[in-house]
Amino acid sequence: MSQETILEALKEALRRLPGVGPKSAQRMALHLLERDREGMRILAQALASAAEQIRHCTRCNNFAEEELCAICASSRRDHSLLCVVETPSDLVSLEQSGAYNGVYYVLMGRLSPLDGIGPEELGIARLEALLATGRVKEVVLATNPTVEGEATAHYLSELVRAHGIRATRIAYGVPVGGELEYTDRGTLARALTGRREA
Amino acid sequence: MRVSQQPGFVLHSRHYSETSLILEVFTREQGRLGLLAKGARRRSSPWQGMLKPFQPLLLSWTGRSDLALLIGAETEGAAIALDVDSIYCGFYLNELLMRLLHRHDPHERLFDAYRSALRALAGAAVPEIVLRIFEKNLLSDIGYGLVLDRDIQDNAPLVPEALYEYVLDQGPVRVVDSDLHRPPRGIRVHGESLMALALEQLLAPRALRETKSLVRAALSRHLGGRPLHSRRLYQHIQALRSRRGGSDSPT
Repeated sequence: MSQETILEALKEALRRLPGVGPKSAQRMALHLLERDREGMRILAQALASAAEQIRHCTRCNNFAEEELCAICASSRRDHSLLCVVETPSDLVSLEQSGAYNGVYYVLMGRLSPLDGIGPEELGIARLEALLATGRVKEVVLATNPTVEGEATAHYLSELVRAHGIRATRIAYGVPVGGELEYTDRGTLARALTGRREA
Repeated sequence: MRVSQQPGFVLHSRHYSETSLILEVFTREQGRLGLLAKGARRRSSPWQGMLKPFQPLLLSWTGRSDLALLIGAETEGAAIALDVDSIYCGFYLNELLMRLLHRHDPHERLFDAYRSALRALAGAAVPEIVLRIFEKNLLSDIGYGLVLDRDIQDNAPLVPEALYEYVLDQGPVRVVDSDLHRPPRGIRVHGESLMALALEQLLAPRALRETKSLVRAALSRHLGGRPLHSRRLYQHIQALRSRRGGSDSPT
């Protein structure tokens, strides 16, 4: 294979990354070749081992290196409390809040009929298997407050209740430290309908 | 081409690059089209939380290609608040429009029918009735309107208590006693049900049941055999509910 095709292949490969077009791919490839050969080997190694060793946690569906992720394997977490999120980055955000000590289930998406994603495509059967173990006493539905996220939460609440388990939805409202004047109308409407005893 | 303040709804959106959205919108005068909303997912975007389904919008854009550039969006009143049950019906309407309308074909009457259907779903209306009326208007607007006033064999006006067989792409044919022994030529439906659909007054349970089979069959001819995902999702929900006691699907 000539050098030119190897370089083209590298650029093509870099373009697989989100937000990387032909120009950025060329810049990255040339930067690595000209200035950071060592970085290239580190990157290649990291990619290869991640591709080989990172899989889905058999319980929560998040990425994990072992059969169970660190959260699911921990005995200090409350395994009767299960929080359902759309993506691994949502899980990270909730973890960083420090307010949650239960376990998670990561959907890796949301129900979206117009994209052809229904319960089967989302692998809801695995969540159901988790509910069927009898260990979970409450499911916190933390899907996004978008139209699809709400529909997903509603679907899941039916599923959870069909198993005789309590389903709760995260609250919405004005951001902490925010000002009413700068809060969008939709959020304010939700904050008002979801008001509680002071 | 520059279009200003056009009433429209987002039917569907998907993420594009780090901060943008690609929208599929249905507008009153320009029909269905694709719009690129640059930076719409930035926290500082003036469109934050606005470019979502079921929100009446006034849209401005530039460009005439398949993907025009959104340059302005304002809400036209509050979002139509579909509750958890009617949201599936809303998805169903959007999926029908995505599947059956061609881009850039204006459908002003259908746009108004869509807006009224959403408002009715958010109100106290029975979802089944709202969906049947919308489906009838959709079929007629895309050029496959149902014949709901006469027998196509003799052009005689429909008789309310008579039974008809609705032959798809043709119309209703009155059933005589001897017909009842052979397989039907079309969907069996009473004159009264067809007339109720024409008048948009579907109140009788029989009329609802019969027109549902009719409209479903008529739509499926234009959907190319691919299933409607929103309908399947609704059926899933109903199956879950029936474990605890539930009802029939409106789609």
